[in-house]
Amino acid sequence: MTAAFLLIPAIRGARRNLGKRSPKVLAALAIGGVLFALALYLGLYKFLEYIARAPMLGPIFGPMVGSLLASKFLEMLFLSLFFMILFSSLIAGFSAFYLDDEIRLLVSTPVRATHIFWSRFVLMVVESSWMVVAFFTPIFFAFATALKAPFWAYFVFPVYLGMFLLLPNILGGVAALGLASFFPIRQMRKVCQFLSAMVLATMIIFFRFLEPEKLLNPKYFSSVSNYILNLKNPAMEYFPSTWIHQASLTLFEGNMSESLSAILPVFFSMLLGLALLHLLAKYFYLASWQASLEAVENQVLGLEWIRRALILPMRFFAEDFRVVAVKEITVFLRDPAIFSQIFMMAAIVFVYGYNLTIIPLKDLPSLYSGEISDSMVFFNGPFIGFILAALGMRFVYPSISLEGRAFWAVKASPIQPSRLLKVKFFLYLVPTLFLGFGLCFISNRIFQVSNGLLYWLSFLNVGLMALVITALAIGLGALYARFDADNPLKIAGSFGGFVFMVLSAVYVMNLLVLESYPLFRLYFIRFYPLTQASGKILVLLSFFLLLVCTVLWVYIPLSQGKEAIERYEPD
Amino acid sequence: MSQIEAVSDPVGDRVGKPVAEPVIILKDIRKKYGEFEALKGVNLEIGRGEMFGFLGPNGAGKTTLIRILTGIIKPTAGAVLICGHDLLAAPDLAKGCLGYVPDRPYLYEKLTPLEYFDFVAGLYSIPHPDVLKRGEEMLRMFTLWEWRNELIESFSHGMKQKVAMSSALLHDPDIIVVDEPTVGLDPKSVKMVKEFFNSLVQRGKTIFLTTHTLSVAEDLCHRIAIIHHGNLVALGNLENLQKLSKSPGSDLESVFLKITEEESELPPHPSTQPGKLV
Repeated sequence: MTAAFLLIPAIRGARRNLGKRSPKVLAALAIGGVLFALALYLGLYKFLEYIARAPMLGPIFGPMVGSLLASKFLEMLFLSLFFMILFSSLIAGFSAFYLDDEIRLLVSTPVRATHIFWSRFVLMVVESSWMVVAFFTPIFFAFATALKAPFWAYFVFPVYLGMFLLLPNILGGVAALGLASFFPIRQMRKVCQFLSAMVLATMIIFFRFLEPEKLLNPKYFSSVSNYILNLKNPAMEYFPSTWIHQASLTLFEGNMSESLSAILPVFFSMLLGLALLHLLAKYFYLASWQASLEAVENQVLGLEWIRRALILPMRFFAEDFRVVAVKEITVFLRDPAIFSQIFMMAAIVFVYGYNLTIIPLKDLPSLYSGEISDSMVFFNGPFIGFILAALGMRFVYPSISLEGRAFWAVKASPIQPSRLLKVKFFLYLVPTLFLGFGLCFISNRIFQVSNGLLYWLSFLNVGLMALVITALAIGLGALYARFDADNPLKIAGSFGGFVFMVLSAVYVMNLLVLESYPLFRLYFIRFYPLTQASGKILVLLSFFLLLVCTVLWVYIPLSQGKEAIERYEPD
Repeated sequence: MSQIEAVSDPVGDRVGKPVAEPVIILKDIRKKYGEFEALKGVNLEIGRGEMFGFLGPNGAGKTTLIRILTGIIKPTAGAVLICGHDLLAAPDLAKGCLGYVPDRPYLYEKLTPLEYFDFVAGLYSIPHPDVLKRGEEMLRMFTLWEWRNELIESFSHGMKQKVAMSSALLHDPDIIVVDEPTVGLDPKSVKMVKEFFNSLVQRGKTIFLTTHTLSVAEDLCHRIAIIHHGNLVALGNLENLQKLSKSPGSDLESVFLKITEEESELPPHPSTQPGKLV
């Protein structure tokens, strides 16, 4: 029996899951995905083409510095990709090697431990890498096109990328095996989740403090030669991201032989890593798996005071609302993985806030400064929407699935499952609104919004987005519920999570389109006062349509989710 | 069926006749999963204070029927009346009379037993002080009181089963539906559960249980129904079933095996025809 044979159930399961989806939805998503990839590819290609010329540096230094800048961005991308997959594989590794129930069955069969390990390793690689690869592929192809790569480079590059991606996965696998051999895995997993989130968040913050936008601003150069030298130096010379960066650059330039010699360190590191992993698996996997069974989590975790404080106001609500809310808060706070996620989200919010503070609004021409500053509020809306959607995907969307197999208790009780949906909707709406309004308040202070109407309109926008995003998360969470999954990350990264993100983006677009006319009139009200009746009617009509659309965006997903949850029949 | 005599069988004499005070009525229950018909028109009446055993081989439709009876899934056709309430038309009233103990005790693992009871009690609108009192009684009875502040995730299967059983009884339901009540329990707990069920029946509660442990059914149940391939193939007390299978004096295991083996040769049970109950 080989490791490949052991993958058959996972492959069949994935095919079965895909087969359950309506072909129309699948086709719509496939088209949407291709369009998104195309937009990403073309947008980045245009950007890179511009960067490669760097016209702000003049006709002589521009192209020279520009190509170095594009190359530097590529290097940064490989570095980010390496770390993202390393952390992702570390968490996926613990789950794939130790925590899946299926392993118990496999270990009791005559299958060799190394075969079990390698089959789990493949699952780990897929889980940790598929989404990142799907997102990064059009980006890399944009680089290839911008650097005028020959057609065959597009076929060779995926091979390079595959080898490169195996490296962080091998490292993640080695780390998971090593840590599990010395520590009780069930506790280690939490520790590592927390640590990896912390390191990753530090990286994001560190990256932001490097202020890459300064690379494009001549004001910061002390001397051009120093700058060029700085750009030419790789960030880390003996690191896989530098190797693949060099190999890719030469590949895109059409220099195959040089490219092959540059990729050799990646290839040999991969072989060495696989051999090391095999040895570790052979001698440590079974023993560490057996040790992992011994650690039991049996204590009520800390932070009880936060839980008690949060559930205190619930006593003023109806009994069924109270118990569902208390259960939700308790389960949420007792899941240790939640803290690493909260930490990550806090880092995203921090980076967002920091980015706002470095926008050079002070340097704007004085005549239009008020309008430009005010218009930032309009463009800031989608960013807040994106943050709310990202949080919604991670914390709100999985909440229905996380009822898990215990959901029978609700189905067998007199309470209607749709009531559960309503309680969750209102429960999650409150923090979503709080966060949205908080971000809106801070950004309005930073932008020093001068127009009072616009100021309050930004709050209305955020309120509407919070309402729709929560409704989408709860409704789609019920429609695409996976009661068999216990990992919120897995639930969020599933098909339904993807649909949620796409629809959230579509709503934000919908909101922007419908508000564009009223806001256009508002910005330029001091030049073109709103006196004509037709203009006023159009403004009113836009807001009326926005309200109607928002009601539909809230009602449709919630009613679909309600039907799905009523229809759902637990195993 | 010695146990039946010991508890002065309230319904044993009703076997073969319409049940006088039915609290569960199933009318022509059918359930289809795609093309597969899991239940092919089941009719049943179960009286107040009756301990009713529902048996069948794997895949016969037991769990499907139990899930329909508890309102977890809906039948493709047919009606379910619980304490006079239509389960489909008035699920809140019907479910309020039921307590359900599933075969696999999936619970909210991040809660302690008392927190879980509070949650379940809220779903059944039981006042908070009553829950604490009743929860304590149940936990003490099942020797879980010392574990009251531990998370359920650290419990063994048997302990979780006890928590599930306790939570099903929190609202003091008239009907208790139990799927495999003894799986995962140690012999002492099995004995205690049997005695507890008998005491509930003596208090006028109705228990509908399924089990593969035929000795449990033989010990406890007043009447037994056997389902096979989605049809009710036999219904009655042990004596009736012995007659039906033409194996007088045999134990329930032999009767069960004979009925399920020869089911295709036997005429359809009258109860499977709408409106004709044994």
